[in-house]
Amino acid sequence: MQRFNFPVIQPDPALEELRGELQRFLKTERDEGNFKPEPECWMASADPEFSKKMGTRGWIGLTWSSQYGGHDKTALERYIVTEETLRAGAPVGAHWIADRQHAPMLLKHGTEEQKLDILPRIAAGECYFAIGLSEPGAGSDLANVNTRAEKVANGWKINGQKIWSSGAHISHYMVALLRTSSADGRNRHVGLSQIMIDLSLPGVTIKPIVDLSGDAHFNEVYFEDVIVSDDCLLGDEGGGWKQVTGELAMERSGPERFLSSYITLETALWQLSGKMGSDSHALLGKLIANLRTLKGMSWAIANLLDQGVSPETEAALVKDLGNRLENDLTLQARAMLNDLPSDQWSPDMRRIMNIGVLRSPPNTLRGGTTEVMRGITARQLGLR
Amino acid sequence: MINTDGMVAETAAKIYTDLCGREVPHQAEAGEYPQALWDALQENGLPLAWVGEANGGFGADYDETFGAIWASAQAASPVPFAETLIANWMLDRAGLAPANGSASFALSGRTPSADIPFGMHADKIVLFDETHQEISLFDNRAAVRSPEEALSPDGMTQFIFSGHLAEQSAKTNLPRRAVEALILTVRAVQMAAAMETALNLSIDYVCQREQFGRPLSKFQAIQQQLAVAASECAAATMAATQAASAIARHTDDPEKAWHEAVIAKVQIGHSVEAVTVPFHQVHGAMGYTQEYDLHHYTRRLWAWRDALGNEYHWSRRLGEELSQQSPDQIWKGVTTGDWVAS
Repeated sequence: MQRFNFPVIQPDPALEELRGELQRFLKTERDEGNFKPEPECWMASADPEFSKKMGTRGWIGLTWSSQYGGHDKTALERYIVTEETLRAGAPVGAHWIADRQHAPMLLKHGTEEQKLDILPRIAAGECYFAIGLSEPGAGSDLANVNTRAEKVANGWKINGQKIWSSGAHISHYMVALLRTSSADGRNRHVGLSQIMIDLSLPGVTIKPIVDLSGDAHFNEVYFEDVIVSDDCLLGDEGGGWKQVTGELAMERSGPERFLSSYITLETALWQLSGKMGSDSHALLGKLIANLRTLKGMSWAIANLLDQGVSPETEAALVKDLGNRLENDLTLQARAMLNDLPSDQWSPDMRRIMNIGVLRSPPNTLRGGTTEVMRGITARQLGLR
Repeated sequence: MINTDGMVAETAAKIYTDLCGREVPHQAEAGEYPQALWDALQENGLPLAWVGEANGGFGADYDETFGAIWASAQAASPVPFAETLIANWMLDRAGLAPANGSASFALSGRTPSADIPFGMHADKIVLFDETHQEISLFDNRAAVRSPEEALSPDGMTQFIFSGHLAEQSAKTNLPRRAVEALILTVRAVQMAAAMETALNLSIDYVCQREQFGRPLSKFQAIQQQLAVAASECAAATMAATQAASAIARHTDDPEKAWHEAVIAKVQIGHSVEAVTVPFHQVHGAMGYTQEYDLHHYTRRLWAWRDALGNEYHWSRRLGEELSQQSPDQIWKGVTTGDWVAS
């Protein structure tokens, strides 16, 4: 009996054909100067025009039904698309979150009207979503959310504040975890619900937060007597905690958890071509071994999700290992360049390396901190 | 996941459960060799799993034979089961009959000596001589054997050649990389199995051992250490599984599995320190005793990570090879496991 379930998936030529199409598209876009590659592109690099091009080619909404503007493909095909765009450092940040988690959420909990209205726009790369989990008093301690939704005639009235909402300033909707009734004594997991909020409604205020590099891709979002209709409650009233933890498990195992800084390594490989010392060989060998192994783990989970299995422990393990590797990719790419002073680096190398270093702190924070991930693993191991 | 279904894997698992309980590795180290265990493996033909029917074996699936190796490593096998599988595979690839009895192997020419894993308990030695493109079978019992100060009880002995005649010998066009791929994959499976077993021991121990009035498992410092170790164990299993799958996919040309096998060696070899340190740490002094079981796994991990070159050697070898390739080829390998040999 083995403790961890990571089945190997045999290679599939059809998937490789799709990969080739993506590679040709991304190369052309880059060569034509339509984007400059960046690390952490899925969080910090958003370009609605680029998202629309992806939508036109059928590369958003791969997994859902064509009835709702999707493309009836598998999670593995979606994986190829995400993997290739991450490798290219393409500006996929606008549509990433909606495609990854809010469209599946709507498919599960939305009304027919919402599905017909919103999902085709997401698939077209025109409609974006922000995550509404963290609050000033609820970071790792997510159950401490304090923003309230109060039942009113035909809907809900929302008051409070969310924070660290990436892309909220360009998003059309937020799905927020809100308190719809009081906690039951010490059990704070009850009374929480997920509500979809149209960010153009009166009473919504979005204020950018500038990160340490000067970029403003995340936000504070304030709600003052914002009224949404009844059908904006997604899933069960009071069932928000269970829904959110289930979703987190899915979002923790994707390729963005370990490939976000691959562009830094690859740029270093181009920079070093033919001039690599033996200490760099050793670093490269180890990085590639780590990458290949994590790809196997993440790919195995994508396949299990496709079959309707939700491997929570495995997903938490992938996120912990993957986030460490992401930071390692940047660090070791620097080490490999040790014989080449940075004033001799190509402009791309300098730009990408600097962005990579500056964007590294959130790797081990977002989507659940390393410490929280290890707590989940410890519970699964029977230690808590 | 290593495939543990199928007749070969299940038979091996049953034999190890029945005949290699936790006391057996202890007794073996005290000099009581578990002959009954070896006899049972042999009577069931398991050491011939990778020998083709033409040479008297039964050509079992690679996959499920890796499951049998997993079972043997979980039990800290004191008999050279995995080594015999490898030795017989080499003989079979050279068109030679399998060894009569247990066997081990070396990848070297005949001079002056060769390091033999499990050399004290192998009846025969199979030599892969790359220079002369030759595979030969020697009798080990008649040889001069000098046991080394070994890391693990099944550790290296030296086979010193002084005019020994091969019992069988044949020319082979088997590339060295094919042999490396198989050996590294077998070691990867053994290491992953040993890691997971030692993780289980550590979890059981911290749940039982109390200090400051509560089980060690309730301390966050302990939980986080074991969570990190668990992630390394899971990665080890994945790497071993990918290598095993590559071997099974390239039965006719195992050289094609070389990259995935080397990757498993590098991934798992580097993880050994990351797991054995916390495993020993949470066990306190108890884990340092001969009486307790942990060392059956940690000492083997320390020995196996050195076998056929350590993780630093293989990291460099892999990196050297990849540095000759374009970033496009490297990416293809990372994402699909389809590597180009340069």
